[in-house]
Amino acid sequence: MGRFVLRRLLQSVVVLLGVTLVVFLLLQLVPGDPVRVALGTRFDQQTYDALRERSGLDRPLVVQYLSYVGHALTGDLGVSFRSGQPVTSIVLERLPATGSLSVTAVLFALLVAFPLGVLSAMRSGSFVDHAARVFSQFGVSVPDFWMGIMGILLFAGVLGWLPPSGYVALTDDPAGWASHVALPAAAVGLVTASILTRFIRSSVLEVLAEDYVRTAEAKGLRRRVVIVRHVLRNALIPVVTVVAVQLASLVGGVIVIEVLFAWPGVGRLTYDAVQARDYPVLQGAVLFVATLFLLMNLLVDVLYARLDPRITLR
Amino acid sequence: MTRSRIVAAALAVALTGLAGCGAGDSVDVDGDATAGGSAGGTLTAAIGGEPDQLDPHRTSAYYSFEVLENVYDTLVEPDADLKMGPALATRWTTSSDQLTWTFTLREGVTFSDGSPLTSEDVVYSYQRIIREKLNAAYKFATVKSVTAPDPATVVVTLTAPTPNLLANLGGFKGVAIVEKSNVESGAIKTRPVGSGPFTVASYTSGDTIKLTRNDAYWGQKPKLDGVTFTFVKDPTVALQNLRGGEVQWTDNLPPQQVPALKEAGEVAVTTTPSTDYWYLALNEGREPYDDVNVRRAVAFALDREAITKAAKFGQATANQTAIPQGSSWYYDYSPYRHDPDQARQLLGQAGVKGLTLDLMVTSEYPETVSAAQVIAAQLKEVGITVKIRTLDFAQWLDEQGKGNFGGFLLGWLGNIDPDEFYYAQHRTGGTFNFHKYSNPTVDTLLDQARTQTDEGVRKQTYERAAKQIVDDASYIYLYNPDVVQGWSKKVTGYQVRTDRAIRFRDVALAR
Repeated sequence: MGRFVLRRLLQSVVVLLGVTLVVFLLLQLVPGDPVRVALGTRFDQQTYDALRERSGLDRPLVVQYLSYVGHALTGDLGVSFRSGQPVTSIVLERLPATGSLSVTAVLFALLVAFPLGVLSAMRSGSFVDHAARVFSQFGVSVPDFWMGIMGILLFAGVLGWLPPSGYVALTDDPAGWASHVALPAAAVGLVTASILTRFIRSSVLEVLAEDYVRTAEAKGLRRRVVIVRHVLRNALIPVVTVVAVQLASLVGGVIVIEVLFAWPGVGRLTYDAVQARDYPVLQGAVLFVATLFLLMNLLVDVLYARLDPRITLR
Repeated sequence: MTRSRIVAAALAVALTGLAGCGAGDSVDVDGDATAGGSAGGTLTAAIGGEPDQLDPHRTSAYYSFEVLENVYDTLVEPDADLKMGPALATRWTTSSDQLTWTFTLREGVTFSDGSPLTSEDVVYSYQRIIREKLNAAYKFATVKSVTAPDPATVVVTLTAPTPNLLANLGGFKGVAIVEKSNVESGAIKTRPVGSGPFTVASYTSGDTIKLTRNDAYWGQKPKLDGVTFTFVKDPTVALQNLRGGEVQWTDNLPPQQVPALKEAGEVAVTTTPSTDYWYLALNEGREPYDDVNVRRAVAFALDREAITKAAKFGQATANQTAIPQGSSWYYDYSPYRHDPDQARQLLGQAGVKGLTLDLMVTSEYPETVSAAQVIAAQLKEVGITVKIRTLDFAQWLDEQGKGNFGGFLLGWLGNIDPDEFYYAQHRTGGTFNFHKYSNPTVDTLLDQARTQTDEGVRKQTYERAAKQIVDDASYIYLYNPDVVQGWSKKVTGYQVRTDRAIRFRDVALAR
């Protein structure tokens, strides 16, 4: 197992190198001149040339890329075109906001999806099942930003229970953090909950049809024991993958919700970097999300071996 | 369940909420009262985006200047009528040949860290901009040297008379006086040190910038303990924040709701004509827009009132020239009535039939997108098909730079001197003459007016240039928008400025 993890980590480095190359090339294809965006609407040609030279954009592409990778290998992701701040610290600063939002969203999603999915599978065809399916259909069809706006209008506007936007660090003021995170986490979590509900439902249904479940029931085991010991333990293995992937994609992907709720996370950073064509920050953010995905996948594989004795890691 | 029934159910839930509860009137005013006579309190201001950095010489973002306006000083500064008046300099004299300006600095001014601000700092700041070719370098185009003969005197020598020198040296905080050690340590990007009424206490990337009162400020002490800037991109959310009391000031209000908000009186909403102008430019480097008749045809085909209504929900004044009515440089000239027949006739003269206009707009400025739709409908009446191309701003700028457009819509913001309204845009080869307009008469007039020291003659020269620019339809001017800002009823002493400078130094907050 140790060797497996080591090998996978080495492979990850190769994958990440590929990611940097692809992102770098894609950025060259994207129209938009970072220097003009940075200068706004008032400058002259000399100012333009000077900034272009300072930001290193006048160097040949190969030189730009190699110097980027060279620095990246030592942990230096360069400095932002716009703010002049080191990219590594810019991305890391945004981590607590994004991390706390996505973990809360996934917890919320699990809290809703787990009972709903299991119940819906066990009582397939019942009212509960239909209601759960309508809910999940609604959740996957409605865009999260719309949910977000409706949430703001209802809970912040009409009821006045929650603040409409903003961020308080969990470490500064846990209660303030909770009231601020509730709406964005619910908006994101609802979509995730819908996906998970459907997944859990079908996974449980599949296991319920297995021979060993029939055998367990034929043995005269109580329904609860069958469900908990035989059905859930097997049905939840694929669910682990989905949860992990959802979590990883949330960390890099709650862009719209972060922008809407003025949440200072990685998603909003990415959005601003795209608008400003701030290549170093964009590359840094993508690299960060890619790393997270690889680690999550590795974690899932290791968890699999733990959860399912039939799987061995080599 | 069908989709419409789901919507109905959602509405029912929302209505139940409406009926059940009143609005929460939670008011959250941070900051503790301080000793002394000041009202105190911290005002939270929601601005539409985050500053890229806080170095005034290197940023170009309006969001940065909203913050920096309260942190930095310039040698001179515009008053409420945009007349340049004293700031760090209390008086100045000009040599008879207009080539040497001598400024006397205010006594006893210090930076917020306590170190004295002297003429050396002024020299350092200007030379930094000039030598490193920073954003505002173009404002120093005629500056030959900046020297400090003694700690209280700054001498600026010029290569040519520059009547708008004061506007160049104080029109905005991009020419602020910075502290050398703050620049050299690199701290200026996030913790700038200025001599203004407030000082930056903390900057949390993506979240807030907190200012506290600068007790060493040379002017009247600010009444507020501090100002917190938050970045709220969505105007609906910003309005909700203002109503809920989390925020006490914002300039990011949904334009379509402004009339209703003014009516309701729940929060103070004020609109004031700005010095900005928005326009349509046609690419004269392309056929058939090189033909003045085609451009004039477009100018006659437009109904500016309708465009203004659609783009700004009435919060703008239609104008056929650049400079707004309130300005002392205003030139009343409006040769283009809305006249589709005249437009068709001009197109006929030019021999143009079945024209398709590639019109470039940007989602960065939603008003260009809405204006383009109205313009497309109006031009259709005279037989011009408009293909609207909506791009993100970075790509838009790229296309503009390359000349890949038939026409585009954009605005010029925060202008003070007429030179800023015309020169770079209409002078042959000007930095922003992307639409390739060239008229030797206009070039001569703009060059003359630049160095003309008699204000009356200068105004006349600009009027002659403006008339020619409008007649040639170099830019087809559309409207001057209003500055729209809203604040809580607890806020007193705030003045909306036509140049969009946000000054909190005289503001107080009731508690």
